[in-house]
Amino acid sequence: MKIGKSAAAAAAVQNAYVPVDADFRLKDNAGEIAIDTNFSAQSFWKDVFIRYFRKISAVIGLVLIILISAMAVVGPGMNTYTYSEQNLSQKNFAPRVKSLEKLGIFNGNESMKTTTGSKIVNQYEAKGLDDVYYWFGSDNFGRDIWTRTWSGARVSLIIAVAAAVIDMVIGMSYGLISGYFGGKVDMIMQRILEIANGIPRLVIVTLLLLVLQPGMVTIIFALMLTEWVGMSRIARAEMLKLKEQEFVLASRTLGASSFFIIFREILPNIIGPIITQVMFSIPTAIFTEAFLSFVGLGIPVPQCSLGSLISEGFNSFTTHPYQIIPPIVVMALLMLSFNLVADGLREALDPKMKEM
Amino acid sequence: MKKYTLKRILTSLFTLLAILLVLFILMQLMPGSPFNDEKLNNDQRMALYAKYGLDQPIVVQFFNYVKNMLKGDFGVSYNISKNTPISQLIQTRLPVSIRIGGFAVSLGAVMGLLLGLVAALKHDTIWDSMATVISVIGVSVPSYVFALALSYTLGFKLGWFPMLYKEKLALSSSVLPSIALSMFTMASIARFTRSEMLEVLGSDYMLLAESKGISGSALIFRHALRNALIPIITVLAPLIVDLMTGSLVVEKIFSIPGVGSLLVNAIQSNDYNVVIALSFIYSAMYIGIMLVVDILYGIIDPRIRLTKEGD
Amino acid sequence: MRKTKAALAILTASAMVLSLVGCGGSSAPATDTAAATEAAPADSSAPADSGEGAEVVAGTSDLNIMLETPVQSLDPQQATDGTSFEVIADYTDGLMQMDADGQAVPAIAESYDLSDDGTTYTFHLRDAQWSNGEPVTAADFVFAWQRAVDPAVASEYAYMLSDIGQVKNAEAIIAGDMDKSELGVTAVDDKTLEVQLNVPVSYFLSLMYFPTFYPVNQAFFESCGDTFATSPETTLSNGAFILDSYEPAATAFHLTKNADYWDADRVSLAGLNYQVIQDSQQALMSYQTGDLDLTLVNGEQVDQVQDDPEFTTIGAGYLWYVSPNMDAVPELANLNVRMALTHAIDREAITMDVLKDGSAPTFTAVPMQFAAGPDGSDFSEDQEKFADVCSFDAAKAADYWAKGLEELGISQLNLDMVVDADDAPQKVAQVLKEQWETTLPGLTVNLTVEPKKQRVEDMQNGNFQLGLTRWGPDYADPMTYLGMWITDNSNNYGLWSNADYDAIIAECTTGDLCTDAEGRWARLYDAEKIVMDEAVIFPLYTQCNAEMMSSKVTGVEFHPVALNRVYKNTVKAD
Repeated sequence: MKIGKSAAAAAAVQNAYVPVDADFRLKDNAGEIAIDTNFSAQSFWKDVFIRYFRKISAVIGLVLIILISAMAVVGPGMNTYTYSEQNLSQKNFAPRVKSLEKLGIFNGNESMKTTTGSKIVNQYEAKGLDDVYYWFGSDNFGRDIWTRTWSGARVSLIIAVAAAVIDMVIGMSYGLISGYFGGKVDMIMQRILEIANGIPRLVIVTLLLLVLQPGMVTIIFALMLTEWVGMSRIARAEMLKLKEQEFVLASRTLGASSFFIIFREILPNIIGPIITQVMFSIPTAIFTEAFLSFVGLGIPVPQCSLGSLISEGFNSFTTHPYQIIPPIVVMALLMLSFNLVADGLREALDPKMKEM
Repeated sequence: MKKYTLKRILTSLFTLLAILLVLFILMQLMPGSPFNDEKLNNDQRMALYAKYGLDQPIVVQFFNYVKNMLKGDFGVSYNISKNTPISQLIQTRLPVSIRIGGFAVSLGAVMGLLLGLVAALKHDTIWDSMATVISVIGVSVPSYVFALALSYTLGFKLGWFPMLYKEKLALSSSVLPSIALSMFTMASIARFTRSEMLEVLGSDYMLLAESKGISGSALIFRHALRNALIPIITVLAPLIVDLMTGSLVVEKIFSIPGVGSLLVNAIQSNDYNVVIALSFIYSAMYIGIMLVVDILYGIIDPRIRLTKEGD
Repeated sequence: MRKTKAALAILTASAMVLSLVGCGGSSAPATDTAAATEAAPADSSAPADSGEGAEVVAGTSDLNIMLETPVQSLDPQQATDGTSFEVIADYTDGLMQMDADGQAVPAIAESYDLSDDGTTYTFHLRDAQWSNGEPVTAADFVFAWQRAVDPAVASEYAYMLSDIGQVKNAEAIIAGDMDKSELGVTAVDDKTLEVQLNVPVSYFLSLMYFPTFYPVNQAFFESCGDTFATSPETTLSNGAFILDSYEPAATAFHLTKNADYWDADRVSLAGLNYQVIQDSQQALMSYQTGDLDLTLVNGEQVDQVQDDPEFTTIGAGYLWYVSPNMDAVPELANLNVRMALTHAIDREAITMDVLKDGSAPTFTAVPMQFAAGPDGSDFSEDQEKFADVCSFDAAKAADYWAKGLEELGISQLNLDMVVDADDAPQKVAQVLKEQWETTLPGLTVNLTVEPKKQRVEDMQNGNFQLGLTRWGPDYADPMTYLGMWITDNSNNYGLWSNADYDAIIAECTTGDLCTDAEGRWARLYDAEKIVMDEAVIFPLYTQCNAEMMSSKVTGVEFHPVALNRVYKNTVKAD
């Protein structure tokens, strides 16, 4: 770790005396201040890489994310349906898959629970459609749920990743700056943050979505506005931990500017917790988007996200349960795998784990 | 310590006032007015604006609002329940929400702690994975789906609990909503407990305690869990507020006469006063909880107090 | 006391006979006595097991009713929504009340006289009591009506007295130009109420069952201060039931039979038990376990219940239509484009495949089954009348489309449609989008989903291109619809203006045709024809509600206008 190296350089400095600028004369070596980052960073990331792949659950998570992302790209194109194409004469068809139907599963049968008893319905047979196959069934507009599930996964992923990345940039900068400067700056920035955090998330998001045109960009914007707070807290806490460290002091004595220290010296040291937090905030974003869909402020119809699919399927939950299952399963898998990856990363990045 | 507490209380009050201002401005930006009904013509709308003082400049409106609020008067509802004082609306509803929320937090916290503990103690075993899967399901399935699934199985099929909230059966009819609401808390606490426990278990003082011959439950409960609990208290506070968001949909599904369902209806019908009042109450509760947690934290862990006072 | 239906009302009320026909051809629920095949579940919420025989009129059980939304206000002059109206009418009688067929029948008014020029009504009140023992007097009506027009009260339904009821001076009082005591309603003595109108109003009696016209006891109102009608203690009953548990925006509340009601002998139910359920699946499950006797069914669940003999569909009166903004969108000002759009809508597919709640495809500007003519037939019974200008015809639509695009000199068109964020409108809008885009090449329709309040504001401000909207009838006359499209009416969203049309409407409201029922009727058809020929709106369907009603229950009266459900004559078998 580079902390150790820099610490050695400034070991002699005691807490009792805080050096001021006047004590030192600047050495003209602006280009060499950051010289020590290369060597240690390389071996550090290699270490992380090895530790990460040693953990099976983390690998499973990564594979799942790649798989689902790949399906989100190619899935909608795997049959002839489109996500918005309606066929009202073929609505609420139960799932049917060509090779599986002979095994008695996915054969288009659906057991309908009516108030007068249950009955088995097969819409395909009832309408004489021999070569129509809806792999995940069709919804109440006769749209293919397979296609919609994967387009929904695509939309949800884009929203979540975009929101998380923007969050990271804003929250991280805010937290780092607030933590580094401390005192009045910190005080004011923390009050602003407290206010932003004090208003119920739902209220902010709802009002925003009412004020702005609904759509993917608006949702990302709304998610970003509410989610950066957590990120900035972590960044600030890490900054408070690190800013009194000797390597920072060393850098400062060498004449580095505040922003250089924040973004070039400290940032690389806290990138681990930050990435972990991003990984955790992606599922939060997916989840919040799902909630927005439920209160009718999600992605505009007929586009869909996993959240809007779940809330659509929710309306047929007791009637046609197969409609809600695919989006829920995909969403749960996504959340699970992002969590596994985040856990894996955290353990791989955390030096304490290394000591164990 | 006293000085710190006082300072925290003062800043909290200032924060609340600022939140009120922000809410007020947000509501002004919001399109639509509470009096948009097809059946109203322009003159009638103007008459209604005048009646409720909405035709005055926004600054005047804000000061009137703050003045009245200090007297405990949040104004009247325009739409959800016409002309009813909001304080009256909230009076009977807040206790219901708090009770169900309280059940849910307690249940979620206990279950989450157990789950997290198991996962940490049996780190990297099948138990750990199972606990992870359970907690991921908890955070990935929306609470309204849980709510309906519980209602369908435990309520409709088995008939164990009422499917809808009933005042006469306040206790048994709170069971299903509380479980549905607690899932998210449970999952979050479980995840957090697991990572905190892992950290504590790996610490030097645990090694010392172990080498001194302390073992078994004493080691885990007296030494590890107690230290892991402190940071968990801090996540519990925001979780309580997250719970309120969850309660919005769950209250709607179970027909619970609480503040959550009130807020959803108010937002959908542009009932400004109700939205501001409820948001403000949510914010006040949140800030109050954070304040208590901060002060408690200072008492439990002197290091925090010292650094803060040093600022 | 016995039925005193005699003498009165039937003569003029014949102008608004409502033949209550279940939507989509299903049988009227009031007469549906078919037994359920499924064993009826035990009623768990009824207060006690009853040993009464069927002969005794007084039942011992409550009727359990599901509501979709909470009551907004129990103040008769402040309430504006159907749910509130229904509950207010449960415990309050006006001068007239609705019978099973929607006719105005005497309630608090025992009889009335009408002056020869048709502008002065004199009502003679019966001996009825408020639930605090005070008699119901003419002064109670005067107080209530003055409240309704008082600018300080700002009642949203004040126009029921002015524009619609044409009560003398109402308009000037609402505008603040005159004191409320000048209103054309006077208490001649305790039991005689005189009402003066500007012009004869053929449907005036049918307004009397509208809650805005219900009486309020002044002394009691003043004793309540600001809390009038917010709790059982601050409400007074003169009707069939008494409110005995309620709080503002309650999710559950209860009413008990009023033993002192003037017509109490005919009331069988022991009480009404209301439960607000916002999730339709929870509602159906509650119905299945026997907690509810009457519940709404959502479109998706109709699949589950359509074979059930307890399933029924009930007309809700609302006309759903698309309003094109002809003023702000030059492309929509083109008649051929509008014709193409309306011909491209397959209304049957929307009602049969998507809504499934019995809603009826509608090809007229006035919806079906709420306004009956002088001969007693429904104004919009003949749905073929304007079929040639709006029925689904892909080829015709494409022709109009091609012609329209050519006139405009464009090959592609993007249109936005504003839609409510509710379930049914969103579904309908998605189908419309698909139908339009499939039938009309080069057309792209974007849906803007907004909360209803905002959608209404956008449309009123002309800030839209296409809007999916609805209108419910306020009184049993086609004018409640046709009056909307006159120049400068705030609900004429498309800002369409046609001098001929305005002239016809004026003639029928305040002009010569006021007293000539048949002549007026014929002119109203002329007006409707203009609206349809010009494709001012694209009517879609007349809304029906799919409901489940327990086979033990008979005699619930459903109406598309004013009071949606009346329980006075309802019987629930034990």
